[in-house]
Amino acid sequence: MASPTTATPKLAALRSLINNAGIGLALLFLIVIFSFSSEYFLTANNITNILTQITINLILAVGMTFVILIGGIDLSVGSVMAFAAVVAGKAITLPGFGDTELILLACVAGLGVGMICGLLNGVISAYWGLPSFIITLGMLNIARGAGLQVSNAETIYAFPLAFEEFGSMLIGGVPVVFIVALVMTLIAWFVLNRTVFGRLLYGIGNNEEAVRLAGHPVFWYKVIAFSISGLAAGFAAIIYMARLNIASPIAGIGFELNAIAAVIIGGTSLAGGRGSVIGTLLGAFIIGVLANGLILMGLSDFLRQMITGVVIIVAVILDHYRAKYSAS
Amino acid sequence: MTFTKIAASAAAAIALLAAPVMAQDKPVVGLVMKSLANEFFQNMMEGAEAHAAQRGDYELRAVGMQNETDFESQINAVENFITQGVDAIVIAPADSKAMVRPIKKAIAAGITVVNFDVALDADAKAQQGLELAFVGPDNRGGAKMAGDALAEALGAGGKVVIIEGNPSADNATQRRLGFEDAVAEHSLDLLDSRTAHWETEEANQVFSTMLTAHPDLQGVMAANDSMAIGVVKALENAGRSDIIVVGFDAIPAVLPMIEDGRMLASVDQFGQQMAANAIDLALEVVAGGPELEGWVTTPIELVTK
Repeated sequence: MASPTTATPKLAALRSLINNAGIGLALLFLIVIFSFSSEYFLTANNITNILTQITINLILAVGMTFVILIGGIDLSVGSVMAFAAVVAGKAITLPGFGDTELILLACVAGLGVGMICGLLNGVISAYWGLPSFIITLGMLNIARGAGLQVSNAETIYAFPLAFEEFGSMLIGGVPVVFIVALVMTLIAWFVLNRTVFGRLLYGIGNNEEAVRLAGHPVFWYKVIAFSISGLAAGFAAIIYMARLNIASPIAGIGFELNAIAAVIIGGTSLAGGRGSVIGTLLGAFIIGVLANGLILMGLSDFLRQMITGVVIIVAVILDHYRAKYSAS
Repeated sequence: MTFTKIAASAAAAIALLAAPVMAQDKPVVGLVMKSLANEFFQNMMEGAEAHAAQRGDYELRAVGMQNETDFESQINAVENFITQGVDAIVIAPADSKAMVRPIKKAIAAGITVVNFDVALDADAKAQQGLELAFVGPDNRGGAKMAGDALAEALGAGGKVVIIEGNPSADNATQRRLGFEDAVAEHSLDLLDSRTAHWETEEANQVFSTMLTAHPDLQGVMAANDSMAIGVVKALENAGRSDIIVVGFDAIPAVLPMIEDGRMLASVDQFGQQMAANAIDLALEVVAGGPELEGWVTTPIELVTK
């Protein structure tokens, strides 16, 4: 467990490389299996599909990584995404504005709603020292209810054309929305590994008291971590809308569990203090590739669900041994 | 323990609220709905409220659930209505087996019960010795209408897939069976059938992958319109305008898609009037009319361009 925050960046980087290599191998293994079992798996179209399909989960999971690294959890992201989407959807369908203004307004509204929800999660759980599991479970309900209230349970549709085009645009077969998610992942990697703020988040996950005694404002760092997760949910909402051209108040049910699964499969410890956003990226790929490949193989829905569950459990067992070896 | 307390106090509060209503001697109708998070039931609820205001000769008490499968709170709602001594309960069961026992209890308490939207399970009814009419649309017939429209556009041998609703939901099963009826009758070639749990994003993902596996696909039958929207979007992204899509429910968001040809058809069950019609039937029985029997079908209509 004791992965000291004082470890030199080089050593930490090496360790994270070894950890990620394991997950990378697992991903490679899946890709090889599916390539042999379905002639369509490695086609350009299918790769585009997989990239599109993992985008939203990747964005949510990157935000979730910040929260899990400090030893917290954010169960509200799926509902917050729906709430943000509905508010942004109301904004983008306002009459009497130009397309550019509407799109900007929707982005501000969606990201704002997401960040405020995350901020509340952080402030409440950090100020009273309450388990984030419960606070974000509360927020899960608040945001879902708020989304239904604002939209009157109706699906919002008819968005500006430019916005729809952004959602389905490809550059060299790679969806632009995925590139956005990838850039976010890299920014998150930089923040976590190359800034004092990022290193201190790891520190809080390992030994909160030590960071506090060193004179750092732990409260605010926690609030920022939760706000980032909320902001990511807001981003996911905008991408959801651009991709599907609707804003539905029942979107994103259970998305928090997929995001958490991506983070955990990616080798981030639920206890906090250990893990990486590159692992999360690989974890999101594993979940996406698995869902896609199993359908291509023609496996039934129920078996597919079972296999996904088995993969999550195997990932956590492997992580257990990985943690043991890196500690010794 | 705490939950029972909360339920008890909630029941007490509702009973207090209901008291002055009873005094006016208007019949009280308890409406038990499924998830109000679903646009369809939200509309239905609004339709029932408008109906109550318009008739004005009965008192409506409506209860909705948190989600589609929350039958626990439906059971509580029925029991609360029994305690309050309402005259009629009009219910869309969240689970066609679990709701049989509480409904039997309500009937034993002298309450007129009308089962609408989703039929109670016939075996469970027989086992509990319950005889109750069903007022509702023919989901299977409706789905077959959509499937027929698709089949007529494609001709025999057309290659199709089905996007199913929640695997355990009765209306999802009925709609799947209706699609399969159309497949059998018109000798369509059913390539794959999968659930997307009624949801747009999941339908988008699942269907994109099905399309990859079956590029020669010609038609899609989605068990609701939310999923049909996800399918239409996947087709746009894949640049395929040659594949025909039909849906179910005729929600406002798909009407422009039917208009511009991205979808061929959907099915309108007139959800807004469904609860209101069931309430009318219940009030007739309360006023001394004959008991309902068998299956009272409500109108459905194929919506095309």
